[in-house]
Amino acid sequence: MLICRCEEITEEEIIEAIRTGARSIAGIRRRTRAGMGLCQGRTCRRLLAGILARETGIPSDDILSETRRPPLRPLKLNIL
Amino acid sequence: MDRIKTTEIAIIGAGPAGLAAAIEATKARARATLIDENARPGGQLFKQIHKFFGSQAHGAGVRGFQIGQELCAEAEKLGVELLLNTTVYGLFEGRVLGLMNEHKTMSLKAEKIIIATGATENALPFPGWTLPGVMTAGAAQTMMNIHRVLPGKRVLMVGGGNVGLIVAYQLMQAGAELIALVEAASQIGGYQVHAAKLERAGAKILTSHSIKEARGKNHVESAVIAKLNPGWQPIEGTEREFEVDTICLSVGLTPLAEIALMAGCEFRYAKERGGHVPVLDEDMQTTLSGIYVAGDAAGVDEASIAMEEGRIAGIAAAESLGYIESKQAKILKAESKNRLFELKQVEHSDLSRPVPTQAGRRRGEDGGAKYFRSESPPPDFMECNDSIAALHSPIPIIECTQYIPCNPCETSCPSHAIIVGKPITNLPKLDPDKCTGCGICIACCPGLAIVLLDMTFSDTESLVTIPYEYLPMPRVSDEVDAVNRYGETLCKAKVIRIRNPKSFAKTALVSIAVPKQVAIEVKGIMIV
Ligand SMILES: Cc1cc2nc3c(=O)[nH]c(=O)nc-3n(C[C@H](O)[C@H](O)[C@H](O)COP(=O)(O)OP(=O)(O)OC[C@H]3O[C@@H](n4cnc5c(N)ncnc54)[C@H](O)[C@@H]3O)c2cc1C
Ligand code: SF4
Ligand code: SF4
Ligand code: FES
Repeated sequence: MLICRCEEITEEEIIEAIRTGARSIAGIRRRTRAGMGLCQGRTCRRLLAGILARETGIPSDDILSETRRPPLRPLKLNIL
Repeated sequence: MDRIKTTEIAIIGAGPAGLAAAIEATKARARATLIDENARPGGQLFKQIHKFFGSQAHGAGVRGFQIGQELCAEAEKLGVELLLNTTVYGLFEGRVLGLMNEHKTMSLKAEKIIIATGATENALPFPGWTLPGVMTAGAAQTMMNIHRVLPGKRVLMVGGGNVGLIVAYQLMQAGAELIALVEAASQIGGYQVHAAKLERAGAKILTSHSIKEARGKNHVESAVIAKLNPGWQPIEGTEREFEVDTICLSVGLTPLAEIALMAGCEFRYAKERGGHVPVLDEDMQTTLSGIYVAGDAAGVDEASIAMEEGRIAGIAAAESLGYIESKQAKILKAESKNRLFELKQVEHSDLSRPVPTQAGRRRGEDGGAKYFRSESPPPDFMECNDSIAALHSPIPIIECTQYIPCNPCETSCPSHAIIVGKPITNLPKLDPDKCTGCGICIACCPGLAIVLLDMTFSDTESLVTIPYEYLPMPRVSDEVDAVNRYGETLCKAKVIRIRNPKSFAKTALVSIAVPKQVAIEVKGIMIV
């Protein structure tokens, strides 16, 4: 089942990333690109947190409060 | 390259919160710049074609988009500086905002920043959720109400909060068929008056149910739903498949205050407001001085609350720049805070008044929404059932039984016959002696919760006047079906009168003649 629609990352890939040590949304992002798509994780962030919480027992509230960095939206290279 | 502009107060998001903040700040003569990524201001309001609940001070009884138009007109008159089609992509050292539009990036340096970026819709993954035809309720609303495209013909709505209920109703108004609405909890979370609109049209509301799978080749062709156990896990063997072409998800909103998070403001978890929200002081200021958050971004709530929070933030920001004396600011903020306090009473009262069941009927889980949380007796106005038959003049029957923040019935009645009073979450009470039977309250009630009953129409028939918001409009002397609260046909009825003046803002009053014995049960019509 697809979890990150923008980057087409499946639930299995995310579980695999957690198995190889991801313990935060940033960790999953680095390993799979989930959350780095067009919507910058707006759609899948909560879902990633839910899977991480289910697999590791870390409360999803703790996971979701991670710090965010700019840009919030993808920037087109030609306007920079 | 970047052009650095400056302003005094930068406001991000031009929904009701941002607009209200900009209006207050500009009134105080501060220089405010309002930024929104859309082509026009208004935020959520522009998708809302229904009459809002809330207090009259916040435009209740007026359709959402019209509240938006009024706010925009005021902002324009005051000369608020607007940057549309412009997205804030970041907040950097020294309160510099990164802006971008189609063509360029810019920087805007502000002394104060008000974040009013609203909320984002939650997703719900299930097998098939990426099929075309699965969409959020907000997306469906944008298609129908902004682009005037019907998202589908046969719809399953997932989620029974106010958003799900209202969007389901709008889909039906737009001509789609609502196959069912499923809600995982054992009761719907939205207001009873909104659910009642769906039930009256014969729609199924299934509580303790959720979607299990969307099926289809290139597009949604069907949806599989299942009953849930109290732990919200599907119960095997309870699956049912419905033929649908659209699945709408309305499973909650998450406050969108990323910009505050990025700036390093402290957050706390508030489940009832949709997740992590910034820690705010009395002035809607975050833990970082000069950065404010208002509206849904501060916690998911309602437009009326968003406006008051925006006002407070706008006043506080102008005050801290020296544009308003602290004494004056205190008075202004107190006005907003009092109204906020009143609106929030709903959180402290319990929403548990049962729906009065005149026919003595309580519906099973598949037959209708369950609002019942307690066995307490139905409200007073239904207790006069037996005496209704003996009424000598037309009288409104108000089926509004939850403590919701709403009072257009009270404020619209020219004879002051309906009292909600304070707090605004009180149930409406009718004084039959003052009522003239004019019917104005029926058209103004955003819950469409009132019908007018005239037992004196003829020896055998009563006249029932109901609010009607579908197309096509029936015509006088048409024959229609008179239906009860659950959309079940009671009898054939002749349309006697239609009132649809401008002041009713497109809620028509349709009066039908029905046999006296069933009159009390008639809650709607269906055109056959
Ligand atoms: C179906 C539905 C029915 C509703 N019915 C009622 C009702 O009857 N009564 C009631 O009181 N309330 C109702 N509400 C709630 C009400 O619409 C919201 O509470 C209100 O709009 C919140 O206002 P806001 O200003 O905080 O956010 P919004 O109205 O969401 O506005 C936020 C704006 O900020 C913009 N934005 C966000 N991020 C950025 C960025 N980075 N850069 C630039 N711009 C950005 C967004 O595009 C948007 O225009 C309803 C909501 C829905 C969805
Ligand atoms: S019918 Fe007219 S007079 Fe009676 S309560 Fe409604 S608005 Fe008031
Ligand atoms: S009866 Fe009054 S309080 Fe109830 S929904 Fe209608 S207008 Fe609001
Ligand atoms: S859904 Fe994952 S980044 Fe958009």
